[in-house]
Amino acid sequence: MSEPSPKPDLEDSINVTAAHDRLVREAAAAVREKRIDDSGSEPISLWVIAVCGVVFLIAGGILGGAGDLFNYGAVFKPGYVRTPPPGMEASGPAPKEALAAFMTRGSKIYSVKCNGCHGADARGDGANFPTLAGSAWVTGDTDRLAMIILNGLVGPMSSGKTYGGAGGMAAQGTGLSPEDLAGIMTYVRNNFGNSTGDVVTVEMAKNAMDISAARAKLGQQMTAEELAADHAKNLSGEPLDPAALVDPITLAPVAEATP
Amino acid sequence: MSQPTSQSTEQDAILRAGIDRSLRHPVMFFLTSGAAWLAVSIFLGIIASVKVHSPGFLSSLSWLTYGRVFPAHVNALVYGWGMQAAFAAILWLMARLSRKECTMVGSILTAGHVWNLGIALGVIGILSGNGTGMPWMEFPSFAWPLLLISYFAIVAGSFIQFRIRPVGHVYVSQWYLLAALLWFPWIYVTSNVLLHCLPGHPVMGAGINAWFRSALLFLFFTPVALGVTYYLAPKVTGRPVFSYSLAKFGFWSLAVIAPWAGMQKLAGAPVPYFLPYIGAAATALIFIPACAAAINTLRTMASAPETMAASPSLRFAAAGMAGLLVLAAAAVLLNLPGSTLRLTQFTLSGYGFDILALYGFFTLSMFGATYFIVPRVTLREWISRRLIKVHFYLSVYGIITVALVALFGGTQQGLGQENWQQPWLGVLDYARPYAVATTFAWCLILFSNIFFFIHLLLMWMRLGRRSSHPTLLVSHHGGNPHGEDGDIDNAGPGHAHAH
Repeated sequence: MSEPSPKPDLEDSINVTAAHDRLVREAAAAVREKRIDDSGSEPISLWVIAVCGVVFLIAGGILGGAGDLFNYGAVFKPGYVRTPPPGMEASGPAPKEALAAFMTRGSKIYSVKCNGCHGADARGDGANFPTLAGSAWVTGDTDRLAMIILNGLVGPMSSGKTYGGAGGMAAQGTGLSPEDLAGIMTYVRNNFGNSTGDVVTVEMAKNAMDISAARAKLGQQMTAEELAADHAKNLSGEPLDPAALVDPITLAPVAEATP
Repeated sequence: MSQPTSQSTEQDAILRAGIDRSLRHPVMFFLTSGAAWLAVSIFLGIIASVKVHSPGFLSSLSWLTYGRVFPAHVNALVYGWGMQAAFAAILWLMARLSRKECTMVGSILTAGHVWNLGIALGVIGILSGNGTGMPWMEFPSFAWPLLLISYFAIVAGSFIQFRIRPVGHVYVSQWYLLAALLWFPWIYVTSNVLLHCLPGHPVMGAGINAWFRSALLFLFFTPVALGVTYYLAPKVTGRPVFSYSLAKFGFWSLAVIAPWAGMQKLAGAPVPYFLPYIGAAATALIFIPACAAAINTLRTMASAPETMAASPSLRFAAAGMAGLLVLAAAAVLLNLPGSTLRLTQFTLSGYGFDILALYGFFTLSMFGATYFIVPRVTLREWISRRLIKVHFYLSVYGIITVALVALFGGTQQGLGQENWQQPWLGVLDYARPYAVATTFAWCLILFSNIFFFIHLLLMWMRLGRRSSHPTLLVSHHGGNPHGEDGDIDNAGPGHAHAH
């Protein structure tokens, strides 16, 4: 920016001073602007480079935290178990009282395996399907009940009546785990008006499966005679306090939670 | 370069004045309607913020429930104010730097009205419950083609001006502005087409949306604000840009890093595993271009401390660069490996980061541009030094409160959320004092921006001071009642201070 020239421009008929004055009057802001024709060439300070380097390392740390970015096998592990929150031990689901836990498991099995014939209220229909409520074989010896569930039943029942014609009850043992068997037995013995108040443990259910596998008439339905002859007893095994705490998934007893 | 003669200086001033004159209405239209949307957005933001700590407030009005008023607040801020302020700055700077008068005033103003109509319909759409639910893209789906078409009509002239510019040096600001002009349609079309026209898996949709937000911040608002500041800093101080090589480094590192950022919002979501990590690393790396640009411009400004104290545009630009540095630090801190991202992912701090970027950095830079451009295009000087000062202090203190409170309060809220043994409602107790402070700060910002809007409107109506003296923040005629404010005649360039 320069001072206006005091003398007129000889090559032009315009008075420069007057023109400049008019310009300043009309566009003062544009006139007072500064012109910058060059660019600075200061070197980049060392500390800027250093700070950027630190940020670069941090970004590298973020990427490094991902481990193998594209290796999905290493990242998404099958059977992944959620890591416990800081300060908490790995606990899984909270323990439940044994009777409630076995009943919960049993109710799920009942709705899959038993509901179709014996009905949601376990009353049967009086003609083809017997009631489970108040049945002596349900609330009686556990060995007998386990054998009926695992192998089915044909012929007269505890009440002397024959249900379901010549076919009888089909075997239900396929796909049952010992936990499932323990659950369903505990469930029918303590529901629908039955209340034996005891728990058929997983150990007892395992024994029942062993007994069932060792039968002479393997693969055939049970009859009242066989039940009376070989199975009129309770399954062996350590009894479980119905109020003891068990894991609701594995049904295994857990130690008392230490606060 | 040879010293320009008096004659060529005059010629150049006439050319610049002509460019300014041609841009009076487009620039003032975008700035003024932008300022109006800014006030509307802040008003909606206050309602949303009050609802965070007093849920019963206005609860009988379904139009103002939090789920509607908050997106309306953010969208009005982004598209109503942010984009329009950017349009004004781009139009003016591209014309000035390419030395071409604006010849498309009619189409720009028409497109500008369409743009504002689109925003208004979009905001009404959100408030009436027809929002899309995608953050920053909540306008009902009719809005985006409308906005896209008007965008091209508004900025087409700037592309042409750049293409037919006199051959020679392309200044730093032009790199940034041209890049922003090209990047915006890329981001906007990609995201809207993928989310509205070809919707894929919704989880990936959330990822695209997160990328859109980040890209709009770092690939549009950031380059526009940096382009403006790279212009203002040397222009107002009269010193060359501190380091040209640093400017080049800052530009190219932004162009390389910024497109990768954004997907860190999906940490823990079932998206391809590398996406959130690359997003987090890129967001942390944004520190590098941000730091380069902020230091470069601040060092340029620091070479003229007396101008910095006096010039409103320079002071706002400096505040914007300070905001950029804080934003860059927050980008690193919020994405530290292993800890903070998980902690802050679902908290206030995301909002704090967005507001820090949109207001603490971008908007303050745009205010700087406004205080520089408006006297040129209206040929009047700003009316009141006090209004500018109030605007500056309330804006800066307000945004410091909003951003810091949201960042820090968000961390507290995150700690509360991580503590799974306490009820979820307890988290609200952590966040409550911060929400109250946010409401208070937005009230300050609203107050200052209402006066900013009025000031701007008066300038557009050419009710500014007729003077050749700029309105500076410090008076050199302090005690004189007949000081420069009453000085109507021209004192010539020798007396006029740098603005």
